[in-house]
Amino acid sequence: MRIVIDGKKVVLDGCQVETKECGEKMLTELYRRYVGDYPKFFKMDTLSKLGFIASELLLQREASLRGVERFVPSEERGVIMGNRSASIVNDREYEKTIQKGDYYPSPALFVYTLPNIVTGEIAIRNKFYGESGFYVVEDKETLMEIVRSSSMKAGIVGWVECRGRNDFEADVELI
Amino acid sequence: MNVTKEQLKQQIIEALNLEGMTPDDIQDDAPLFGEGLGLDSIDALELMMVFDKHYGIKLTDRNESKRVFASVNTMVEYIESKR
Repeated sequence: MRIVIDGKKVVLDGCQVETKECGEKMLTELYRRYVGDYPKFFKMDTLSKLGFIASELLLQREASLRGVERFVPSEERGVIMGNRSASIVNDREYEKTIQKGDYYPSPALFVYTLPNIVTGEIAIRNKFYGESGFYVVEDKETLMEIVRSSSMKAGIVGWVECRGRNDFEADVELI
Repeated sequence: MNVTKEQLKQQIIEALNLEGMTPDDIQDDAPLFGEGLGLDSIDALELMMVFDKHYGIKLTDRNESKRVFASVNTMVEYIESKR
Protein backbone atom coordinates (compact mmCIF):
# COMPACT_ATOMS: atom_id res chain seq x y z
CA MET A 1 0.00 0.00 0.00
CA ARG A 2 1.29 3.41 -0.90
CA ILE A 3 0.28 7.01 -0.36
CA VAL A 4 1.63 10.06 -2.16
CA ILE A 5 0.87 13.53 -0.81
CA ASP A 6 1.91 16.98 -1.96
CA GLY A 7 0.59 20.43 -1.13
CA LYS A 8 -2.36 20.04 -3.47
CA LYS A 9 -3.38 16.41 -3.62
CA VAL A 10 -3.42 13.02 -1.95
CA VAL A 11 -3.22 9.77 -3.88
CA LEU A 12 -3.84 6.52 -2.00
CA ASP A 13 -3.00 3.36 -3.92
CA GLY A 14 -3.47 5.21 -7.20
CA CYS A 15 -6.81 6.80 -6.29
CA GLN A 16 -7.01 10.50 -5.53
CA VAL A 17 -8.54 11.34 -2.16
CA GLU A 18 -10.99 14.21 -2.46
CA THR A 19 -9.89 17.37 -0.64
CA LYS A 20 -11.03 21.00 -0.70
CA GLU A 21 -8.08 22.69 0.99
CA CYS A 22 -4.39 22.94 0.08
CA GLY A 23 -1.17 22.77 2.09
CA GLU A 24 -1.31 22.35 5.86
CA LYS A 25 -5.04 23.14 5.85
CA MET A 26 -5.51 20.09 3.67
CA LEU A 27 -3.79 17.93 6.30
CA THR A 28 -6.12 19.35 8.96
CA GLU A 29 -9.10 18.69 6.68
CA LEU A 30 -8.00 15.05 6.34
CA TYR A 31 -7.49 14.78 10.10
CA ARG A 32 -10.99 16.07 10.82
CA ARG A 33 -12.58 13.79 8.22
CA TYR A 34 -10.66 10.55 8.78
CA VAL A 35 -9.09 10.62 12.26
CA GLY A 36 -10.60 13.11 14.74
CA ASP A 37 -9.64 11.28 17.94
CA TYR A 38 -6.06 12.46 18.45
CA PRO A 39 -6.04 16.14 19.53
CA LYS A 40 -2.24 16.06 19.74
CA PHE A 41 -2.36 16.39 15.96
CA PHE A 42 -3.04 20.10 16.30
CA LYS A 43 0.19 20.62 18.23
CA MET A 44 2.38 18.88 15.65
CA ASP A 45 4.66 20.67 13.24
CA THR A 46 3.90 20.36 9.53
CA LEU A 47 6.39 17.51 9.05
CA SER A 48 4.78 15.44 11.79
CA LYS A 49 1.28 16.21 10.52
CA LEU A 50 2.34 15.06 7.07
CA GLY A 51 3.80 11.76 8.27
CA PHE A 52 0.95 11.20 10.71
CA ILE A 53 -1.78 11.67 8.09
CA ALA A 54 0.09 9.47 5.60
CA SER A 55 0.38 6.69 8.18
CA GLU A 56 -3.23 7.03 9.31
CA LEU A 57 -4.67 6.76 5.79
CA LEU A 58 -2.48 3.74 5.03
CA LEU A 59 -3.33 1.92 8.24
CA GLN A 60 -7.03 2.71 7.95
CA ARG A 61 -6.97 1.31 4.42
CA GLU A 62 -5.23 -1.82 5.66
CA ALA A 63 -7.85 -2.21 8.40
CA SER A 64 -10.64 -1.71 5.90
CA LEU A 65 -9.34 -4.01 3.14
CA ARG A 66 -7.65 -6.74 5.17
CA GLY A 67 -9.51 -6.51 8.47
CA VAL A 68 -6.29 -5.83 10.38
CA GLU A 69 -7.13 -4.51 13.84
CA ARG A 70 -5.65 -1.10 14.69
CA PHE A 71 -3.52 -0.29 17.75
CA VAL A 72 -2.51 -3.88 18.51
CA PRO A 73 1.02 -3.84 20.00
CA SER A 74 3.58 -5.21 17.55
CA GLU A 75 7.26 -6.05 18.03
CA GLU A 76 7.60 -6.64 14.28
CA ARG A 77 6.31 -3.35 12.99
CA GLY A 78 8.46 -0.24 12.91
CA VAL A 79 8.70 3.19 11.30
CA ILE A 80 11.55 4.38 9.08
CA MET A 81 11.33 7.73 7.36
CA GLY A 82 13.65 10.26 5.87
CA ASN A 83 13.98 13.52 4.03
CA ARG A 84 16.43 16.12 2.79
CA SER A 85 15.49 19.16 4.89
CA ALA A 86 15.18 17.65 8.37
CA SER A 87 12.90 19.84 10.54
CA ILE A 88 13.92 23.15 8.96
CA VAL A 89 10.39 24.62 8.79
CA ASN A 90 9.80 24.24 12.50
CA ASP A 91 13.41 25.17 13.32
CA ARG A 92 12.82 28.54 11.67
CA GLU A 93 9.59 29.04 13.60
CA TYR A 94 11.42 28.28 16.83
CA GLU A 95 14.24 30.66 15.90
CA LYS A 96 11.70 33.49 15.67
CA THR A 97 10.87 32.97 19.36
CA ILE A 98 14.49 33.48 20.46
CA GLN A 99 15.13 36.76 18.68
CA LYS A 100 16.43 39.74 20.63
CA GLY A 101 13.70 41.93 22.04
CA ASP A 102 11.02 39.26 22.18
CA TYR A 103 12.76 36.45 23.94
CA TYR A 104 10.15 33.84 24.77
CA PRO A 105 11.59 30.49 23.65
CA SER A 106 8.62 28.31 22.84
CA PRO A 107 8.70 24.84 24.46
CA ALA A 108 5.86 23.71 22.17
CA LEU A 109 7.97 24.54 19.09
CA PHE A 110 11.22 23.31 20.64
CA VAL A 111 9.96 19.74 20.96
CA TYR A 112 9.57 19.54 17.19
CA THR A 113 13.07 20.80 16.36
CA LEU A 114 14.11 17.25 15.53
CA PRO A 115 12.93 15.43 12.40
CA ASN A 116 12.63 12.04 14.09
CA ILE A 117 9.71 13.22 16.21
CA VAL A 118 7.37 12.19 13.39
CA THR A 119 8.49 8.55 13.53
CA GLY A 120 8.02 8.59 17.30
CA GLU A 121 4.52 10.04 16.97
CA ILE A 122 3.52 7.25 14.58
CA ALA A 123 5.18 4.46 16.59
CA ILE A 124 3.59 5.61 19.87
CA ARG A 125 0.13 6.06 18.37
CA ASN A 126 0.18 2.59 16.80
CA LYS A 127 2.21 0.72 19.45
CA PHE A 128 4.87 -0.23 16.90
CA TYR A 129 7.87 -1.44 18.90
CA GLY A 130 10.06 -2.51 15.97
CA GLU A 131 12.87 -0.48 14.44
CA SER A 132 12.32 3.26 14.35
CA GLY A 133 14.52 5.79 12.65
CA PHE A 134 14.65 9.00 10.67
CA TYR A 135 17.41 9.64 8.15
CA VAL A 136 18.39 12.96 6.58
CA VAL A 137 19.59 11.93 3.13
CA GLU A 138 19.73 13.30 -0.39
CA ASP A 139 16.86 11.36 -1.96
CA LYS A 140 14.27 8.62 -1.49
CA GLU A 141 16.40 6.00 -3.25
CA THR A 142 19.17 6.46 -0.65
CA LEU A 143 16.57 6.14 2.09
CA MET A 144 15.19 2.93 0.60
CA GLU A 145 18.70 1.44 0.49
CA ILE A 146 18.89 2.08 4.22
CA VAL A 147 15.48 0.46 4.70
CA ARG A 148 16.55 -2.61 2.72
CA SER A 149 19.69 -2.97 4.82
CA SER A 150 17.77 -2.62 8.09
CA SER A 151 16.24 -5.41 10.16
CA MET A 152 12.76 -4.02 9.64
CA LYS A 153 10.25 -6.58 8.40
CA ALA A 154 7.01 -4.61 8.46
CA GLY A 155 5.61 -1.19 9.16
CA ILE A 156 5.63 2.32 7.75
CA VAL A 157 8.48 3.49 5.53
CA GLY A 158 8.88 6.50 3.32
CA TRP A 159 9.90 9.96 2.32
CA VAL A 160 8.41 12.98 4.10
CA GLU A 161 9.95 16.22 2.88
CA CYS A 162 8.72 19.56 4.20
CA ARG A 163 10.03 22.86 2.82
CA GLY A 164 7.19 25.06 4.03
CA ARG A 165 3.77 24.89 5.62
CA ASN A 166 2.23 24.55 2.19
CA ASP A 167 5.19 23.08 0.36
CA PHE A 168 5.73 19.42 1.13
CA GLU A 169 5.70 15.93 -0.30
CA ALA A 170 5.28 12.47 1.12
CA ASP A 171 5.75 9.11 -0.54
CA VAL A 172 5.05 6.52 2.12
CA GLU A 173 4.42 2.78 2.03
CA LEU A 174 3.03 0.18 4.37
CA ILE A 175 5.20 -2.91 4.06
CA MET B 1 -7.08 43.19 34.00
CA ASN B 2 -10.05 41.93 32.02
CA VAL B 3 -9.79 38.75 30.06
CA THR B 4 -12.44 37.04 28.01
CA LYS B 5 -12.53 33.30 27.52
CA GLU B 6 -12.38 33.90 23.79
CA GLN B 7 -9.18 35.96 24.15
CA LEU B 8 -7.56 33.37 26.37
CA LYS B 9 -8.45 30.52 24.02
CA GLN B 10 -6.92 32.44 21.14
CA GLN B 11 -3.75 33.02 23.16
CA ILE B 12 -3.59 29.29 24.02
CA ILE B 13 -4.01 28.36 20.36
CA GLU B 14 -1.23 30.75 19.31
CA ALA B 15 1.14 29.80 22.12
CA LEU B 16 0.73 26.07 21.62
CA ASN B 17 0.82 26.39 17.86
CA LEU B 18 -2.52 24.58 17.55
CA GLU B 19 -2.69 25.18 13.81
CA GLY B 20 -6.17 24.52 12.44
CA MET B 21 -7.90 24.71 15.82
CA THR B 22 -10.37 27.49 16.64
CA PRO B 23 -11.59 28.84 20.03
CA ASP B 24 -14.84 26.95 19.43
CA ASP B 25 -12.88 23.67 19.56
CA ILE B 26 -11.96 24.35 23.21
CA GLN B 27 -14.77 23.96 25.72
CA ASP B 28 -14.76 26.30 28.72
CA ASP B 29 -14.88 23.54 31.33
CA ALA B 30 -13.16 20.68 29.47
CA PRO B 31 -9.91 19.39 30.98
CA LEU B 32 -6.91 20.81 29.15
CA PHE B 33 -4.51 18.04 30.13
CA GLY B 34 -4.73 14.30 29.55
CA GLU B 35 -8.13 13.81 27.98
CA GLY B 36 -9.87 16.83 26.46
CA LEU B 37 -7.29 18.95 24.66
CA GLY B 38 -4.56 16.41 25.40
CA LEU B 39 -1.92 18.85 26.63
CA ASP B 40 1.26 17.68 28.40
CA SER B 41 3.98 19.04 30.69
CA ILE B 42 5.71 20.91 27.85
CA ASP B 43 2.45 22.72 27.16
CA ALA B 44 2.19 23.64 30.84
CA LEU B 45 5.46 25.55 30.44
CA GLU B 46 3.96 27.30 27.44
CA LEU B 47 0.85 28.26 29.43
CA MET B 48 3.06 29.67 32.18
CA MET B 49 4.67 31.86 29.56
CA VAL B 50 1.23 33.03 28.37
CA PHE B 51 0.45 34.09 31.92
CA ASP B 52 3.77 35.92 32.26
CA LYS B 53 3.76 37.54 28.82
CA HIS B 54 0.12 38.65 28.63
CA TYR B 55 -0.89 39.09 32.27
CA GLY B 56 2.35 39.61 34.19
CA ILE B 57 1.53 36.60 36.38
CA LYS B 58 4.37 34.29 37.38
CA LEU B 59 3.27 30.81 38.40
CA THR B 60 6.00 28.84 40.13
CA ASP B 61 4.13 26.46 42.41
CA ARG B 62 3.59 23.14 40.64
CA ASN B 63 0.42 22.24 42.53
CA GLU B 64 -1.07 25.66 42.02
CA SER B 65 -0.29 25.48 38.28
CA LYS B 66 -2.04 22.15 38.08
CA ARG B 67 -5.17 23.62 39.64
CA VAL B 68 -5.07 26.84 37.61
CA PHE B 69 -4.52 25.10 34.27
CA ALA B 70 -7.34 22.59 34.78
CA SER B 71 -9.60 24.33 32.26
CA VAL B 72 -10.21 27.65 30.52
CA ASN B 73 -12.71 28.51 33.27
CA THR B 74 -10.15 28.01 36.06
CA MET B 75 -7.53 30.00 34.15
CA VAL B 76 -9.87 32.97 33.68
CA GLU B 77 -10.93 32.82 37.34
CA TYR B 78 -7.31 32.93 38.42
CA ILE B 79 -6.42 35.85 36.15
CA GLU B 80 -9.47 37.78 37.36
CA SER B 81 -8.49 37.08 40.99
CA LYS B 82 -5.13 38.74 40.35
CA ARG B 83 -6.65 41.99 39.08
